[in-house]
Amino acid sequence: MKTTTKGVHSRRRLRYAVPAGIVSASLFLAACGGGDTGDGSTGEGGDKASGGAPAADVLDKASGVTTVAFWHAMDGTNAEALTKLVTDFNAQNTGKIEVKATYAGKYDDAITKYKAAIQSKSTPDVIQIYDIGTRFMIDAKQTIPMQSFIERDKLDVTDLQPNITGYYSIDDKLNSMPFNTSMPVLYYNKSLFKAAGLDPEKPPQDLAAIRTAAEKLSKKGGGPADYGFGAAIYGWLLEQFIATDGKEYCDQGNGRDGKATKVLFDQPEAVEVVKWWQQMVKDGYAANTGRDTKAAQAAFKSGQLAITLESTGQLGGYSKAAKEGGWELGAANYPHIKAGTEGGPIIGGASLWINGENHEDANKEAAWRFVKFLADPKSQAQWHIGTGYFPISKGALEEPADVTYRKANPLFDVAVQQLENTKLSKATQGCLLGVMPQARKASEDGLEAALNGTDPQQAMTKAAESLSAQIKQYNDSVG
Amino acid sequence: MDEVTDVTTTSGEKVLPEHGSGEDPGERSGTPSPTPAGREARREPFVAVLYLLPALVVFGVFIFWPLVKSILLSVQGTDILGNPSGFVGLVNYTRLFSDPDFLQVLWVTFAFTILTVIPSIAIALLIALLLQSRIKGVRFFRTAFALPFAFSVATASVIFGVLFNPASGVLNGILNTFGIDKVQWLTNPDLALWSVSGATVWMQIGYNLLVLSAGLGALPEDVLEAARLDGASGLRLQRSIVMPLLTPQLFFLVVVGTIHSLQSFGQIKILTVGGPEDRTTTLVYSIYEQAFANNNSNYGYASAQAMVLLVIVLIITALQFGVLERRVFYR
Repeated sequence: MKTTTKGVHSRRRLRYAVPAGIVSASLFLAACGGGDTGDGSTGEGGDKASGGAPAADVLDKASGVTTVAFWHAMDGTNAEALTKLVTDFNAQNTGKIEVKATYAGKYDDAITKYKAAIQSKSTPDVIQIYDIGTRFMIDAKQTIPMQSFIERDKLDVTDLQPNITGYYSIDDKLNSMPFNTSMPVLYYNKSLFKAAGLDPEKPPQDLAAIRTAAEKLSKKGGGPADYGFGAAIYGWLLEQFIATDGKEYCDQGNGRDGKATKVLFDQPEAVEVVKWWQQMVKDGYAANTGRDTKAAQAAFKSGQLAITLESTGQLGGYSKAAKEGGWELGAANYPHIKAGTEGGPIIGGASLWINGENHEDANKEAAWRFVKFLADPKSQAQWHIGTGYFPISKGALEEPADVTYRKANPLFDVAVQQLENTKLSKATQGCLLGVMPQARKASEDGLEAALNGTDPQQAMTKAAESLSAQIKQYNDSVG
Repeated sequence: MDEVTDVTTTSGEKVLPEHGSGEDPGERSGTPSPTPAGREARREPFVAVLYLLPALVVFGVFIFWPLVKSILLSVQGTDILGNPSGFVGLVNYTRLFSDPDFLQVLWVTFAFTILTVIPSIAIALLIALLLQSRIKGVRFFRTAFALPFAFSVATASVIFGVLFNPASGVLNGILNTFGIDKVQWLTNPDLALWSVSGATVWMQIGYNLLVLSAGLGALPEDVLEAARLDGASGLRLQRSIVMPLLTPQLFFLVVVGTIHSLQSFGQIKILTVGGPEDRTTTLVYSIYEQAFANNNSNYGYASAQAMVLLVIVLIITALQFGVLERRVFYR
């Protein structure tokens, strides 16, 4: 305390301390961002792609153990399941390949770290990157497309779910290997449906039907739940509505025919969803739990919401909450805007990328073997059971362990059927856009503004327009 | 009463050496003269630089170089990997000032600063004055009230996140017992900034309380006694004697608190992520979003914002020194 008083009394000291404090305001940015940019290493990847697969026998010629650095973004139980797979792989390849898995933070942090690694030429051999980073990964020109390994090995890939590989493919060429995959579904509380006099085996499948059910379910309409409906302000859900309606999210054929130049989430169908959602909230039939997905999840688990939209990844958590809370959980296909439209949901999750730039051939090959291992039916079944993620391999669903698992968790079959019934189109492949993470956030800005009272069309148009400068800047900078 | 005499002696002792150090230059120029004159005097600047060197190196590497770097980045474009993509002049700045959202960011930053600095000092002052009273167990309260200082921003924010939770939070639980409807503390656009500011005030109070308590403890007893002899007491004593004597501490807290508020980040990231509708996106948070969030790496644009922040802080601080400091009473 004495030193504090003294410091305060000394006016000269304060005079110097203050400018120093001010300067540190700008330190924040430069310390993190600018540090590595001054070394003149700006040209990497700019002029050439990082080539194709190395010769198949390169690993046999290599001496000693080839170490594969693997960065992932899985934590909690997902990380445990992943560690087990890595251990199994290492055991099968003792003396030849060793995979060192490192948690690189959540998706956003992992990609930020990856960018820094590109600048310092220290990218890992394999990295897990979220779905919406796909276009960026292609444009960063650091990786070897899976297709070149597949063609080299003349590998039969018919075991991979085409609706999943579709997202990561351009012109039928696979860029990265899908790994953890999830799908959106509609979850509902069967017990609350019964209490409201609704048929628990007939979940609503379009916007109008959700509205009708919510009116009966909500406290406002004399129902048993606080709110009939509620979902997080999460851009992914809006993307799904657009896809189930068979519409595209960005131009240039969802960014599959060429680089997308604008987003289309202000098209009439998307605005219709926003308008519907806004009205539901305004009338007291839907809760606005904000952007934090955990808030909507908690409300659904505690029975405050009767219907919600979430990923298959929540199935485990919801089943557990239902068991503990003594209510019955239901799951159904992701709803359409209008009944009878053709289209289906887009898969989400993340995929694995093999880095080629500045990597030894032996490492590339070892990385490929690891990726192949993770994609095989046995690993995918184990991964599916351990995490609840959707297996990318058709064969995984026939593995005995997986069959047993789905018998215990019959609701998962909803997702399996939904995926198999979805006709692959550009709409259901999803939008490839360099600034997709920003686009998702912008759509959330629009949806949030609308839920808080702004005119839906106006809110979505403003959000879409806010992206045009960023998209242009991105496209200009990748040429 | 023992305690009071104690305080007098400590404060007496504290004042004396400070007067002494104030006369240091005179003493120093006196001391070297007996020694062989010229050489020592010529070596002195060199020795001074040597002593300063460690500090200068640290400042140079971690503060001044990044500052220069930020200025350079702010006039360059950025490619998708975050590399500077060449000189673009003032494009980042013109884009910034033609962006209507940037006006809101500035407004939020301003409001957040006002909503945190003033209450956190006022409340800390009130508590500090109350803690001057010689009630039993005052030490316990002193420690308890200063405790927020020991919390990291992240810890405190997570706890406030739990308190603010609309469904299961304590705050709504309390309101509920009074029959008040659920409040959307962090998702209501009109309320979110107030909630985040409230949490920030709580985090700030501990430090402010420490500074003010120390200041109150070091008040010169002779002045207070003189005032009492002249018949001043109660509020009059507080207003005319204690407050003026406390102005150095108050001024320090205003200046440092303002800078601190302008740089706040953790509580916004954890509690609201800048939302709802960007209504809690302050300048620093906006810099973060442009530079690091959502796979952004617009270091150029973000650096331009950082420069604006630098200028704002400089102006505010200059104003504070120009206007407020005149009213500060340095003993």
